Amino acid sequence: MPLSLAALAKGDRLEPVGIDLTDEWVRGYINAVEDQAIVGMGACAPPMSLAALAIRALLAQSPLPAGSIHVAQELSFLRPVAIGERLYTHAEILSRGDRQAWVMMGVRLCVRDSAGDLVMDGRATITFPLDPERGD
Amino acid sequence: MIHDATDVISVGQSLPELSRKITQDTINRYAEASGDHNPLHVDPAYAATMQFGGPIAHGMLVLAYLSETLTGAFGEQWLKSGRLKARFRGAARPGDTVTISGKVTKVEGGRVTCDMAARNQEGEVLITADAQVTA
Repeated sequence: MPLSLAALAKGDRLEPVGIDLTDEWVRGYINAVEDQAIVGMGACAPPMSLAALAIRALLAQSPLPAGSIHVAQELSFLRPVAIGERLYTHAEILSRGDRQAWVMMGVRLCVRDSAGDLVMDGRATITFPLDPERGD
Repeated sequence: MIHDATDVISVGQSLPELSRKITQDTINRYAEASGDHNPLHVDPAYAATMQFGGPIAHGMLVLAYLSETLTGAFGEQWLKSGRLKARFRGAARPGDTVTISGKVTKVEGGRVTCDMAARNQEGEVLITADAQVTA
């Protein structure tokens, strides 16, 4: 059973996940966000889709506690990514602070290509209710 | 697009605005694409018991609109050199119309900096962001 994000500590790293950037998934993403600007960019994926992929991989390994709120997001896009590329998502807990009934957590999410080069880097700041039974 | 090889970008220049209507279906489709099925977004009964009083859109969905605005303004340069620092300040809800606006605040050393914002139809700020791109 996946370990909740609430159970993770600063320095914890999740296993990298290899994902093929399929045409089907990219079309589903574009449909979801109604991105019209990417249409003129050839067979490239919207840059925010890389962040969505990284989040998808993170949540599959470590679900968000119910009631989580996304507070802030930093992102860097390093090159256009073509549909069909094989990508690898990485996640690391950069910071964790427990205050009264809430946890504030910083998570690095990055995406690398098959050569190991960064194509997207980012930091998400989220907050969620502190669960006294965290880790169960 | 506000910039191609022949354009000069100037401080104070506004980016073309972009508006999107948020529906629960929009939110559900984004949940499917992102794998983020946080009940705050997709479970109206649960969301009604939480601080927002009802379901809200993913912050990353609204941020995607902001990124689309920058793709439209800067083209491939956004895809290969874009940087965003965003704070989520308010929630978009089903029925809201979100409008993305931006303005160039700095042009230096080949880097363009823009102040970006997402607002709902009441003018309430949902996201503020600093965007940078090599142009």
